Amino acid sequence: MNVTFYRLEMRRLLRNYVNLFFVVGLPVFFYLIFGASPSYADEPVRDGNVAMWIMIAMAAYGAVSATNGIGGSTALERMQGWTRQLGLTPLPDREYVKVKTATAATMGGFTILLVFLAGAVTGAKAPLSVWFASGLILLAGSVTFALYGLNFGLAIRSESSLGASAGSLVLLSFLGNIFIPLEGWKLTLAKFTPLYGYVSMARRPLTGGGNLEPSSGELLYEPLWQPMTNLVVWTTVFFLLAVSLVHRGRDRQ
Amino acid sequence: MGTYIRLRGVTKEFDAGGEIKRAVDHIDLDVGAGEIVALLGPNGAGKTTTIDMILGFIPATSGEVTVFGGKPKEAIEQGRVSAVLQTGGLIRDFTVGETVELIASAYPRHPPIEEVLLRAGLTGLSQQRVELCSGGEQQRLRFALALLADPDLLLLDEPTAGMDVQARRDFWVAMREEAERGRTVVFATHYLQEAEDFAQRIVLLNEGRVVADGPIDEIRRHAAARTIKARIDGGRVDATVAALEGIDAVSSCIANGERLVIEAIDSDQVALLLLTQMGARDLEIEPASLESAFVRITKDTSHLDQGARQ
Repeated sequence: MNVTFYRLEMRRLLRNYVNLFFVVGLPVFFYLIFGASPSYADEPVRDGNVAMWIMIAMAAYGAVSATNGIGGSTALERMQGWTRQLGLTPLPDREYVKVKTATAATMGGFTILLVFLAGAVTGAKAPLSVWFASGLILLAGSVTFALYGLNFGLAIRSESSLGASAGSLVLLSFLGNIFIPLEGWKLTLAKFTPLYGYVSMARRPLTGGGNLEPSSGELLYEPLWQPMTNLVVWTTVFFLLAVSLVHRGRDRQ
Repeated sequence: MGTYIRLRGVTKEFDAGGEIKRAVDHIDLDVGAGEIVALLGPNGAGKTTTIDMILGFIPATSGEVTVFGGKPKEAIEQGRVSAVLQTGGLIRDFTVGETVELIASAYPRHPPIEEVLLRAGLTGLSQQRVELCSGGEQQRLRFALALLADPDLLLLDEPTAGMDVQARRDFWVAMREEAERGRTVVFATHYLQEAEDFAQRIVLLNEGRVVADGPIDEIRRHAAARTIKARIDGGRVDATVAALEGIDAVSSCIANGERLVIEAIDSDQVALLLLTQMGARDLEIEPASLESAFVRITKDTSHLDQGARQ
């Protein structure tokens, strides 16, 4: 990978304090309010507790927001002709994709790390292996949502795409069993929305494959193929959509 | 070193909402080593589209585009061709220095960054954010990025658009230095003056076609028509117009009542004829401004087609 390119991209991102505060700060704040403070925070979930369950959810939201933002701004850079500028150099397209992916993963990873740190000092509990496994799944899955932001940017073709994609992620977080635990028909519906597979996979090391039912506090088991299929299908959809949108935008009008 | 750019029957069509629009229409063009060529034409003449095809950004609908004997992409990968693009975007929150460093990292070898900044007149601006640069400074930055390739062939698309007079002059001084280093330069412009001051050869484009292609003197001679105005007695207007239109040097002749407005290359010959044989009065001769010559040459393409094409 082109390390200079990556280093300069990271420097630019870390300079943008306002954006950094909202991308990284917000999920930490959400966790502290909804995860660490409530009375039920220390209720057990298998070998961990509810705070851990909420912490993973907020880390998922934070990581996805971070990568989504990278994808969205990449689309805008493309629209503003930056990729044409890069197209004048011998830099292969795949190098550019690598740098952007690495940048997104770094920002996602950074957010996950901070939320986990907040969890560790405020009472989120689980065996060490769960922390590591969840963290890795969160990191790997978050890169998919760079494509989500990219698609919004390529389709809407203006700065407003950043707000639209970020806003829709909040909505999808409610629908995807992230912000509040769902049950009944709402949970059934959730299983078809894009963030559900991602967060369920990330929680699996903690729950062993269960969804926390809010009315009973019990874990409802679901087979692995359900969240797995969700994640694979949505990743494929985002990918194919991105390919077709990039193709559409290739001819200058 | 032979031919750097070779276009044969190159055509580009865009689908503009169901309607096919032909931006470039069967262009033939050869540019050899050491040439300085202006692609001159009004907006929409096909200049940018032609440059985009030479750079391999868009494929030709039909025809053949060869750069350094191969595909455009290969020439770019070898760093033999680079460009200053009208539409080449810059990232606003990078500094000038960071932008140069980033693009430099894409090349296996490049001239020292300090030297490139110096040649583009950017020394001292290295720490400045791109968003705080003036239009001229941003354009010089794009120029610096092009120099990183150390290219044999430099393409410039409307390089001085948005610059003030001083910035424009400075830019061409810098460009002349690059040409003296032996770089081949092809630039698109709609400023006639720029083409005249800087190019050795002009390729005139209009509506996607090459309407004239030749050394600058030759183009100028064809373009340098003068306007002759004269008064003719009412009864003889039609006959006089017919007679004038039969003369090679006359490109147009319009009667407005008794007043004739004639455009002609050899104004002396026409004036002599008018005064001695056609009984004209109140004769005036106006030298063609470069601007009107440009308008004329792009309007009246058939006339130049035979005259100036090499």
